[in-house]
Amino acid sequence: MARYGMALDYKNCINCKACEVACKEENGVLLGADKHRIWVGVKEIEGEYPLLSIASNTFYPSQCQHCDNAPCEEVCPTHATHYDENGVVRVDPDKCILCSYCMNACPYDARYVDDRTMTVDKCNFCSDTRLARGETTTACQATCPTKVRIFGDLDDPNSEISQVLREREHFSLKPHLGTKPKLFYLM
Amino acid sequence: MDLQKIIPYKKMSLKELLVPENKLMALIAVVLTTLFLIGVAIYLVHGHHAYAVTREHPWGLLIAMYIFFVVSSTGLCIVGSFGDVFGFKDYMVVSKRAIFGSIITILSGFAVIAFEIGHPVTMMIYNVLSPGLTSAIWWMGTLYGLYLTFMIIEFIFLMRNDMARAKTFGLIGLLVGLAAHSNLGGVFGFLNARVVSNGVFYPTYFILTAFITGIYLIFIMYGYKYRGKPFPDDVAKALTNFMKIQGLLLAILMFFETWKMLTGVYGGMPERADTILHILHTKSFWLGEVLCGMVIPFLLILKSKGTAIKQMVWASVIGMVGIFYMRYDLVHDTQLFPMQTLKIREYQLPPSFVDYFPSAAELMIGFGAIGICMILYFIGTKLFDLDHMPEHH
Repeated sequence: MARYGMALDYKNCINCKACEVACKEENGVLLGADKHRIWVGVKEIEGEYPLLSIASNTFYPSQCQHCDNAPCEEVCPTHATHYDENGVVRVDPDKCILCSYCMNACPYDARYVDDRTMTVDKCNFCSDTRLARGETTTACQATCPTKVRIFGDLDDPNSEISQVLREREHFSLKPHLGTKPKLFYLM
Repeated sequence: MDLQKIIPYKKMSLKELLVPENKLMALIAVVLTTLFLIGVAIYLVHGHHAYAVTREHPWGLLIAMYIFFVVSSTGLCIVGSFGDVFGFKDYMVVSKRAIFGSIITILSGFAVIAFEIGHPVTMMIYNVLSPGLTSAIWWMGTLYGLYLTFMIIEFIFLMRNDMARAKTFGLIGLLVGLAAHSNLGGVFGFLNARVVSNGVFYPTYFILTAFITGIYLIFIMYGYKYRGKPFPDDVAKALTNFMKIQGLLLAILMFFETWKMLTGVYGGMPERADTILHILHTKSFWLGEVLCGMVIPFLLILKSKGTAIKQMVWASVIGMVGIFYMRYDLVHDTQLFPMQTLKIREYQLPPSFVDYFPSAAELMIGFGAIGICMILYFIGTKLFDLDHMPEHH
């Protein structure tokens, strides 16, 4: 049993979108599908030329936050959304009734409707694919050219992610909502 | 099995049952029902793609119309309970019609939601096998199912003039209905991520507006029944009382709304204040919710001191338009503020308030269900004696 999380050295992100491509390839996400499972948010440069704030221009790679206290799991009427044994927030398509309550409840807009199954889907840290094959990395992590992502077991004090989170300052998105996200942005 | 023994009804041939009492209303009902069926056919061919709902705005007109119908049902249940549950004699005359109305409105609501939920059969299976007890939708759906059962049992006893049993099941039905309805408010109130909806407002507001809707509908039902002629004394007395109650309820609603908006804007809290200000700049709020839903009926009540019950029928029709906007707006307003505030493509504009306008299929199913409700009402008024109550009980 693990408690998987991901640390994002987001300032290294160059918005090449290799992670999106790898995710689509690995998890069979439809080509052309926008913001499905994973995306990179762009914060624009602020100010007027020549007084441009270069520091304001950042990329925020994002995906499901795999909250420890996930609002989507709480609102699901049929337990289609559940935590697996590794603390990953998963959707069981057989139980999903497409009431879309989870899509409204997620503060991170991490959920979408899969047009093939007409059920709600989201990032599952490659649990069905790479982790099921015994690999220890996610597709987005393995492909990233600037090593933005560190995936691992938060309960293992010797894992790379645990060490990084001990050593570097980090923040989570919308922490005031009490969702306890397991995606950490390194500062 | 003799159905007559279970629930007394007037025996008539199918032809007698189907001959319309009012051709214009029958035509409207048939046209709307046909539109509903066309909308359903489009949905069955294209699935959810027939709807204009999106990832950012997953709930649309059909959710609003479902709420519209179940609010109507709860409201009519409250109105009907005055007489047969609480025993106020002045209101006894409207009980049968109101309880019948509560059954057909919730059935119409279920007809809409059946085509909004992506997998209704899966829902029925896993609602039982794998119940999500922390989900307001689970409680709302389950309690509404129970509520419908109790309403039907109550109606059967009302038709048998067994007032003691009708009272028992009516009370249980009312309590379950109120619980179900406040849970529907909770569906929105529990959304921590949506600051305009999160909190205690909607679960209580739903009960208040249900009561208001019930009174509007009872005026419309009796206005239609006694069109072109005066109300009988007992009906006039009940309606006059309801009109005065409506004045109080509308005043409370306006008070609630005012404070909701003021507290929403005050302090300029990010996301909440922007969204409330956006709502305050929409015509659907001012013309739909405020003018039609509250001000016009309220002014009539004030001006006539609660006695203009004939004009109140038309004010109630306008009021129901306002009630529709309240339902539509609460669904739309909840989803106005985008959860992703960063753009994701280089030349894309930053996300703004989320847009939504219903598709043709949504419009047909949503408004077409009003036709189903009308047909059920016309058939019910022919089959059942909805007026006479026993003298002694």
